[in-house]
Amino acid sequence: MIDILPHILNGLTLGLLFALIALGFMLIVGLMEQINLAHGSLFALGAYVGMQMLGPRPPMPADWAAAWLALPLGWRYALTLVIAPCVVGVVGALVEFCMRRTYGKDPLYGLLLTFGAAMVIEEAIRLTWGTRDYVLQVPQAISGGFIFQDLIWSTYRFYAAGIAAVIIGLVWLVIEKTPYGAIIKAGAHDSEIVRALGINLSRLRLAVFIFGTMLAAVAGIIVAPIWGIRPHMGVDAVVPAFLVIVLGGVGSFWGAVSAGILVGLAVGLTGAYASEWSLLSMYILLVAIVTFRARGLFGKKSVLEA
Amino acid sequence: MNGTAPNSPDAARLITPTMLVVWLGLATIPLWISQIGLYPYLGIEILIWSIYALSFNLVLGTAGLPSFGHGVFFGVGAYAFGLAQFNVSSSLWICLTLAMLAAALAGVFVALFISHRRGIYYAFMTIAFGQIFWTIAIKWHSVTGGEDGLLKIERLPADLGFVSFDLKNNASFYYFVLAVFIVIVIALWRLTHSPYGRILSAIRQSETRAAHLGYRVWLYKASVFTISAGMSGLAGGLFAMAQLAAFPDVMSLHQSGYIVMMTLVGGGLVSFWGPIVGVVTFLVARDVIGAMTSAWMLWFGLLFIAIVLFKPEGIAGAFRSVVDGGKARAKRAEGVSALRLLFRS
Amino acid sequence: MSKINRRRFVKGSAAALAGTAAFYGPWKHNSVYAQAKPIKLGLTCDASGQYGNSGQDDLRGIKMAIDEFNVKGGVLGRKIEWVTADTETTPATGSRVAERFITREGCTVLIGAVHSGVANAITQVAAKNGVIYLNTNSSAPSEAGENCSRIKFVWDGNGTNFSKAAVKNAVQGVGKNWLLLTNDYVWGHTTSSATKAQVEANGGKIIDNLLVPQNTRDFTSYLLKIQQAKPDVVATAIGGDDIKALREQVVQLKLDGKPAWINNQQDWPDIWGAPESLFGVFGTTWYHKLPLAGVAEFVKKWEAANKDGPIPVPGNVSYNGYMATRELLRAMERAGSTNNIKVIKELENLKVSAADRMQHYDAFMDPVTHQMQQTIYLARRNMKPTDKTDLYEIISWTEPKTVLDDAAPNKCKLAPYEQVPSVDS
Repeated sequence: MIDILPHILNGLTLGLLFALIALGFMLIVGLMEQINLAHGSLFALGAYVGMQMLGPRPPMPADWAAAWLALPLGWRYALTLVIAPCVVGVVGALVEFCMRRTYGKDPLYGLLLTFGAAMVIEEAIRLTWGTRDYVLQVPQAISGGFIFQDLIWSTYRFYAAGIAAVIIGLVWLVIEKTPYGAIIKAGAHDSEIVRALGINLSRLRLAVFIFGTMLAAVAGIIVAPIWGIRPHMGVDAVVPAFLVIVLGGVGSFWGAVSAGILVGLAVGLTGAYASEWSLLSMYILLVAIVTFRARGLFGKKSVLEA
Repeated sequence: MNGTAPNSPDAARLITPTMLVVWLGLATIPLWISQIGLYPYLGIEILIWSIYALSFNLVLGTAGLPSFGHGVFFGVGAYAFGLAQFNVSSSLWICLTLAMLAAALAGVFVALFISHRRGIYYAFMTIAFGQIFWTIAIKWHSVTGGEDGLLKIERLPADLGFVSFDLKNNASFYYFVLAVFIVIVIALWRLTHSPYGRILSAIRQSETRAAHLGYRVWLYKASVFTISAGMSGLAGGLFAMAQLAAFPDVMSLHQSGYIVMMTLVGGGLVSFWGPIVGVVTFLVARDVIGAMTSAWMLWFGLLFIAIVLFKPEGIAGAFRSVVDGGKARAKRAEGVSALRLLFRS
Repeated sequence: MSKINRRRFVKGSAAALAGTAAFYGPWKHNSVYAQAKPIKLGLTCDASGQYGNSGQDDLRGIKMAIDEFNVKGGVLGRKIEWVTADTETTPATGSRVAERFITREGCTVLIGAVHSGVANAITQVAAKNGVIYLNTNSSAPSEAGENCSRIKFVWDGNGTNFSKAAVKNAVQGVGKNWLLLTNDYVWGHTTSSATKAQVEANGGKIIDNLLVPQNTRDFTSYLLKIQQAKPDVVATAIGGDDIKALREQVVQLKLDGKPAWINNQQDWPDIWGAPESLFGVFGTTWYHKLPLAGVAEFVKKWEAANKDGPIPVPGNVSYNGYMATRELLRAMERAGSTNNIKVIKELENLKVSAADRMQHYDAFMDPVTHQMQQTIYLARRNMKPTDKTDLYEIISWTEPKTVLDDAAPNKCKLAPYEQVPSVDS
């Protein structure tokens, strides 16, 4: 019999990554009532921008580039993790501008618009970088393998899961413990009152959308060394993302996190026994849970409710 | 409901003048399609996808249900046709009927899970089921051939008892598909303009109100979904004959999204003929622009965004407002409200 | 009303049926100038998807052969033109592109394949129209077996050939417990079955067969299972971008030493993309540093034509594309015509000398299965490279006779010549 523990660990690490990917999507859905189908393409864009920045031809003027490339890879990687999402955030702001016309109307507008935006961004990626596979460089310290319990494990995977947990924690802190988070939550609950309180609602929405986009981008950079970089990688992100959201319950932070881990475990465990079906397992999980608990695990009644 | 006012004389007819014009136009296509730089196979694709889009619009435009996973039924029809041909019968009619039934069965199955939902959750579930069926199609090698597809499907002869047409070359197959198209158009026209269709419209406008009037909303939603699935399956069977194979791609999220895009861009929300306009635009653009650049989807995507933002009545709607004497604002309002109604709580 | 409809219908269909006789598109009004009319080839090469890189490399080899002939004045005094489109490593797109090439572009031969699913889809369309199709680089054993066709010719070694070359030595030399990693489509399945047959014929045992969906990136659970199962040898039938990802992860985890890895066939574009992660033993049909006459000149010519390309030297994919196209054009010249049946008959009896092939042994076309039987090379990573392109160390070369796919002739049923529509260009 196969020892199941390694596969459980694999599933947990995978689950944290799914939770991270879903996080940006969850913020926009739960706090802005907009379905952002462009999440996947923004995720991919984050990976590409990160790869380009770390690579031999960073997109900056020549003298800066020389200084940049002289830095050790570890420093460059850490800085890219912060800078690249900001770049992608600008693209996110563009998408949000286009979406402005659709506020007040129903989420379908957002759904369709972001579906179109997703196609446009993916094609733009294909035009700019071509269709070949790229590899994101990763510092030596977090790559390679280590031995534990007689098996070799991938160091990077554990690092990725770790940093995903850290980022999830940071987001939680921002939302729960800072005044900005309070404003965001209030805006989701009742935008009229928030406006009545004198807060600029459209700026708030822009900020939340950019925040969600940056999370998508950072997830892209972190997951890229595991999944590889191709133009189509966005689809691998957006489908699990909305699956995790529906499973966890729209508008619930812990719902998204626990659903992400649950999905990761399902995929990891079926990977142990019937690897071809591991993809299918997450959809079946979705159908099973939503049939019995229509709002998902922790869902609250939201405007998306039907 | 799409475009035609219930009191207009067209709504009561079996065959309207617009239909005749459209059919005549389509019948002449094989004569001039090569001259304009296209080819007969593209004409076949356009007709088949038009059947698919019209069936899809039954759900989206008439009943107001946002289905983002309709590719499943198109694909199931294609596979069922091939499997029927290999295992059951070599009669064209039986295989097409089985394709329709298999897709309708899949439709009933999905409808059971989703018909009590509305709006975004409805869309979510259709996407989830779309992914489930797509994954099954790819995995279930022994039945579907997996990613390589179900190959060696043949174009069975159209045997009417007293005469039999060989459909192997593209032109004769085109006319066969046109014949099916004509039947489907008549059926869908009658369906949307019948009392059943009016109730669907009522449901689209307000489920609560329809329920209070005593209609069993769940039953109507489930039945229209099933009918649409079956007709999409019929289109799928025809597509299997066109390609001589059935592939799983049509069930993917992307391709299910394409049919939504085509229907919307063409103006399916306000016009019966909108989906056809959308299909023609999409397929011709893909062929012509795709030959020049591989980034044609970039431009089509931008067009789609522009239409969603500024012209939800689509191409057909805009055309009609011009024809109806410049009632552009009214048409746009119709388009906007139709779009809004898709997701009303 | 209906009377007019019927009349137009009958007129329309009569005209259409007459029109279909000349489905060559824009060429039908040029029949007066048939002498100087160019020959049009449709190059169905992937530019995106799992095999995008290989598809483009295939295209480079094909174009080189075409240019060589055009410089000499073309074939039978006619220039050769070509058109290409991205088949997206997707069978449905391959089908559509083939239809377009044949009916709209008027191509009389289709060339190019890497993915067996795409190749099969194109074959169906080509066979319907009688158009010759050269499968340059798809190496599923079924291409020469149940998916063979009178109009199709296969130019790559297939999974059975490579297994036969590699397996016997590995079972006896390394170990009897084998684990298979199989890409979940035709090529993967048929190649793994061939490997399984070879392993069992030599006294070995397959302890597990793990299916890997196409476009898999994350091999963690597979690598965990492999470590837990502890086989002696892992035989992979994984291609394109997937094998690149697998190699990266195996090398990262330093699993490339034990167990031993046999990677059936590796394509040069996949290796070049990630040279550090090359490991195990693998097969190929050609290498640019083979110590044979003609190789150096070929490589120089290729380099000159592809100076700014992503890959600096030609590999097996380009080579197969070049050889297939060259032999097709030579066959047309020998037949003195472009009539498809005549060219097919020429190709069926093809024999090419080792020197002409730049391989160690003579090659010949099997008339029953339409697959080119050629020298099979086994290689591993070169620990002492002479320059940065010298990645392979060739460890053996096997005569085509000894690695024949014995099962194929029984499975292949070619349609008789009379059933193939005649095509002249």
